[in-house]
Amino acid sequence: MTIPQPPTAGTVSEENGAPLAIQVSGLTKVYQKGIKAVDSISFEVKEGEIFGLLGPNGAGKTTTIKMITTLTKPTAGAIRVFGVDAMSSPQRIRQMLGFVPQAISVDGDLTGYENLLIFAKLFFVGRDQRNKRIHEALDYFGLADRANDLVKHYSGGMMRRLEIAQALVNRPRLLFLDEPSIGLDPYSRKQVIRQVRELNQNFGTTILITTHDMSEADELCDRLAIMNLGKIATAGTPQELKRSVGGDVLTVTVSGKMPDSVPKDLGSVVSSEQGTVKILTLDGEKAMPRITDYLEQSGVVVESVSLSRPTLDDAFMKYAKTSLQQEGSFGEARSARRSITRHGR
Amino acid sequence: MNIIEFVESSLTIAEMEARKIKHDSTELWTRLIQPALWLLIFGEVFTTIRAIPTGQFTYLQFISPGVLAQSVLFVAIFYGITVVWERDVGLLTKLLSTPSPRSSVIVGKALAAGVRGIFQAVMIFGLALIIGVNLRLDILDVFGVFVVVVVFAMCFSSLSMLLASFLKTRDRMMGIGQAITMPLFFASNAIYPIAVMPRWLQAMSAGNPLSYVVDALRAMLLTGDYSGLGVDILALFVFTIIFVSAASVAIKRMVE
Repeated sequence: MTIPQPPTAGTVSEENGAPLAIQVSGLTKVYQKGIKAVDSISFEVKEGEIFGLLGPNGAGKTTTIKMITTLTKPTAGAIRVFGVDAMSSPQRIRQMLGFVPQAISVDGDLTGYENLLIFAKLFFVGRDQRNKRIHEALDYFGLADRANDLVKHYSGGMMRRLEIAQALVNRPRLLFLDEPSIGLDPYSRKQVIRQVRELNQNFGTTILITTHDMSEADELCDRLAIMNLGKIATAGTPQELKRSVGGDVLTVTVSGKMPDSVPKDLGSVVSSEQGTVKILTLDGEKAMPRITDYLEQSGVVVESVSLSRPTLDDAFMKYAKTSLQQEGSFGEARSARRSITRHGR
Repeated sequence: MNIIEFVESSLTIAEMEARKIKHDSTELWTRLIQPALWLLIFGEVFTTIRAIPTGQFTYLQFISPGVLAQSVLFVAIFYGITVVWERDVGLLTKLLSTPSPRSSVIVGKALAAGVRGIFQAVMIFGLALIIGVNLRLDILDVFGVFVVVVVFAMCFSSLSMLLASFLKTRDRMMGIGQAITMPLFFASNAIYPIAVMPRWLQAMSAGNPLSYVVDALRAMLLTGDYSGLGVDILALFVFTIIFVSAASVAIKRMVE
């Protein structure tokens, strides 16, 4: 499949007036027993964007998605999807969206084709459109030759692809993906990510994705919000978030004389020992040649320079203040695995 | 709510269930073991020893409608477990995130329970004929039996889904399924006439929906006396409408 370039003409000038896919303000969800899962959050997702919602387990991501998909009622706040109010017309909103929940939820007792057929019908896709769309989706996700096999005999990756295909039969303007790559092997994961990006580029589908995988988020998302304890800790482009960690790290290996400092406008020396100098700088790429020049002029012999950027992991750690490794996605990984084995009986 | 959309999506949900049965019908057949045992063993033995007075009919004739009602009840009452299972694997969440009205999920599944009920009815008729039970199998009566079986299956499958919306786990549903079906069965006229019951059990039987169903089925399959049929069917419809409506409202609790 060839990927047409996303339309560029017009988008820049319309930037300010671009319609909002999601507009959330003061959204709050308090469960029984007083647990505040989501605490007065506000954010916007522009049409055509891939927006990532990150955060440790229990941060409130899934609850937020459930409220926007009208599966659960907010305690307070307002949600608009393409300008439609979620409280007053939930059914109109559901018509516009596709939803891939966290657990693999295609029906193992039906064939791939039937899974798509049932959902096309539940979305009221017209009889004339139905079969064309189903076969296109099966082809696109490489499932055509297994279309008439029961889904319980599919691999985990195939189930995930089928599920995304299923969420697309109604041609949603807005697609929700809740942890789409959990429980998948690296190859299937890559495939899913590529297809998500193509969807966004080819059809202009706005995508809201939650993930624990920071490299995935970095690769995929136009903008991100990091949630923690029911609040949005920070939001911005992956670049902005990484930059907000506090700059890039230049590691310089030198021989002979060791430098103690560099001019302030270039950065600051973090450590200097055994022939290795670490310099924290705001924009590593621009600073690199200037720092090298400066060091050589001051009589230091530079052997090599390497630039490392703060990763999204660093940003995540800064704002979520809990480590993914510590908190662990054990529970979620287990539930994903469970759902795969269930379907795979 | 658009009525055409509601009907369309109810039928789609029922179609979904029907397709699953088509792929694997093992459960349908295993569901026949219990009623077969009731007829072949319990029925035959009690017919021979004539321990229960059933008037002009043999005991086998008498319990055939009762066994049919009981087997449909058993099929229907465990529908809540299916819904809990679908919730656990995320299927229900996805069904409820479609624009289809939520009530159509309940009605569709209840219809599917009705289809299973018809299968039970056909098979039990067949078995009864094979072992020589004399039933009034003319077209109108058989049609009437199917209608009662479908509505009855819808009634108790939606009660089961209503309970599932509150109990939420499979273990609890297994427990409640047993706790409902056995008392309903034994406190009904399914396997003995109300006349032989002690006074307190007679009172319970009068408030037992299963008794009305058995009464209706018995009128059509045995006696041909339709005088009580109107009340029986009216009661059944009222219960069904209440349970379907309540389950349609409550089902969203499952995914919250």
